[in-house]
Amino acid sequence: MPIIEANGLSKTYRVYQKKEGLLGALRGLWRREYKEVKAVESVSFTIEPGEIVGFLGPNGAGKTTTLKMLAGLIYPSAGNAQVLGHVPWERADDFRRRFALVMGQKNQLWWDLPAADSFQLHREIYSLSAEQFQRTLGELTDLFGVKELTRQPVRELSLGERMKMELIAALLHQPRLLLLDEPTIGLDVVAQVTIQKCLRDYNSIRGVTILLTSHYMRDVEALCKRVLVITHGKLVYDGPLTGIAERFGNEKLVKLQFDGTETPGDLGAFGEVTSREGPIATLKVERLRVAEVMAAMLDRYTVLDVSIHDPPLDQMIAKVFEEGTTPAPELVEK
Amino acid sequence: MWRYLKLWLSLAKFSLLGEMAFRGNFLVKIFVEVLWLAILLVFNFTLFQQTTHIENWDVNQYLFFIGCYFAMGGLIETLFLENCNQFADLIRTGDLDFFLLKPIDEQFLVSCKHIDWSCAPNFLLGLGVMGYALWTSGWVLNYSQIFAFVALFISGAALAYGFLLLLTSASIWLMRNQSLYEMWWLFTTLMRYPREIFSHGNWATPAGFFFSFVIPIMLVTNVPARMMVKTLEPSWLAWYALGSAVVVLIVSRYVFRAALRRYRSSSS
Repeated sequence: MPIIEANGLSKTYRVYQKKEGLLGALRGLWRREYKEVKAVESVSFTIEPGEIVGFLGPNGAGKTTTLKMLAGLIYPSAGNAQVLGHVPWERADDFRRRFALVMGQKNQLWWDLPAADSFQLHREIYSLSAEQFQRTLGELTDLFGVKELTRQPVRELSLGERMKMELIAALLHQPRLLLLDEPTIGLDVVAQVTIQKCLRDYNSIRGVTILLTSHYMRDVEALCKRVLVITHGKLVYDGPLTGIAERFGNEKLVKLQFDGTETPGDLGAFGEVTSREGPIATLKVERLRVAEVMAAMLDRYTVLDVSIHDPPLDQMIAKVFEEGTTPAPELVEK
Repeated sequence: MWRYLKLWLSLAKFSLLGEMAFRGNFLVKIFVEVLWLAILLVFNFTLFQQTTHIENWDVNQYLFFIGCYFAMGGLIETLFLENCNQFADLIRTGDLDFFLLKPIDEQFLVSCKHIDWSCAPNFLLGLGVMGYALWTSGWVLNYSQIFAFVALFISGAALAYGFLLLLTSASIWLMRNQSLYEMWWLFTTLMRYPREIFSHGNWATPAGFFFSFVIPIMLVTNVPARMMVKTLEPSWLAWYALGSAVVVLIVSRYVFRAALRRYRSSSS
């Protein structure tokens, strides 16, 4: 049985359109104009237990809105969803005991107190037994490497340490589903990698299902085999991460090392030259023409080494996001 | 119920620890509250040097009334005012999300998350003033009277909390809470005076009736104080105050839950 089942989930907001200037503000006192903004439009997908799924999209695409509907924080305008066997926005206690939401830009720990005190409060809220609480807390502080920091006031922790504490607080009640909204935002590379590793380890130890939004492709590459791509509120891709290149990357990067000290001057005839450095050049070539172009170049030049690969994932994702401005490509099923 | 009581005690403990971290601020707040009571008492003693009664309240009865008002205000401010005041910010910043995610009654968590211990001395000072007023008036210990007073005091606090929650719920629509504060100060002003003050004049009489029976905020302190130091007239007023508290609590809970359904959660 899927952990998450979303069917035609939509959310439309009514947004007040404020007129400019004092006169506009005065008019707004008795007559207001509203605009309907479709934040999410008919989004459907399922997520199975134990999966780690990346939820990608540009700012304002509808990722967080979808996540908040799945967490039961906001009501959808249309559609339905089942999360852990519950309708999320009914906010049943049994449902809320079995999942957690962590938002990288928000802090839920008691700011002026040590994280240990906030953990105690979580224990009371989730009615955890003392033994279960101590055992889970011990495991998590070991896993995240913050055993020595739990007695330090939260406001005195670094951003990375605070995020680890946030994740520990979210995992104390051993949720079956973890919704993460940009958990590594603002963190340095080292902290990002540590958090990625902790999440991966926790997923393999506990089998927790994770749905993650992030603007850092490194997070997604490190954690997710499957991704959902949403632009302008519509789901445009649901499939394996590796399928992104196949689906949206209609170009390949061909890297060549030529005999001599310089690259030939007429490479532009074979494709777009993206870099030249000594005898090494990289060309962007249409996927379907790679074989033909390679044959022609090998015929014309002496090539010492060649490698063909997909463009970096973030470039392809940026392209997917751009495509969102045009009619959405047909949804690719998993 | 036991779980909620334990959780409330933990919240109270952590609130105290949080406030103790800023000891100077904590002490200044207590000092200001004591000063505020002293000004109120001096003002009223000055009035009673010119007259023996304000309406039909003599100096000791009136002193008891002030103590009752101060204790009631202290209780509401300690338990709920700060929480309700923060509610609009929680909505504006989207931090209300964390309250809704927890497997616990949202109203309980929103209303009780923070206990403002710096206002607790007001409650104790109010009790002290009431005790002093009873002692100087030669009051004879009467347990049934004390029981009735405590019951009506709690019902008054429940009534005030219900109104505060109604005002708080409006934050979902208003997004700002200045109007909440304005309304709350109007309410506390109405709680501060005996009802009889509003019994004369073309405007005062309807206003007194309105705030006693339609929006019965004046009953919050009038009913328990009158029960203790005077005769409650009309006698059914105690039942009216109790009934109002129940109705306002039910309505405020309904409105609060309706307001939560309108919550949009701010973007992250």
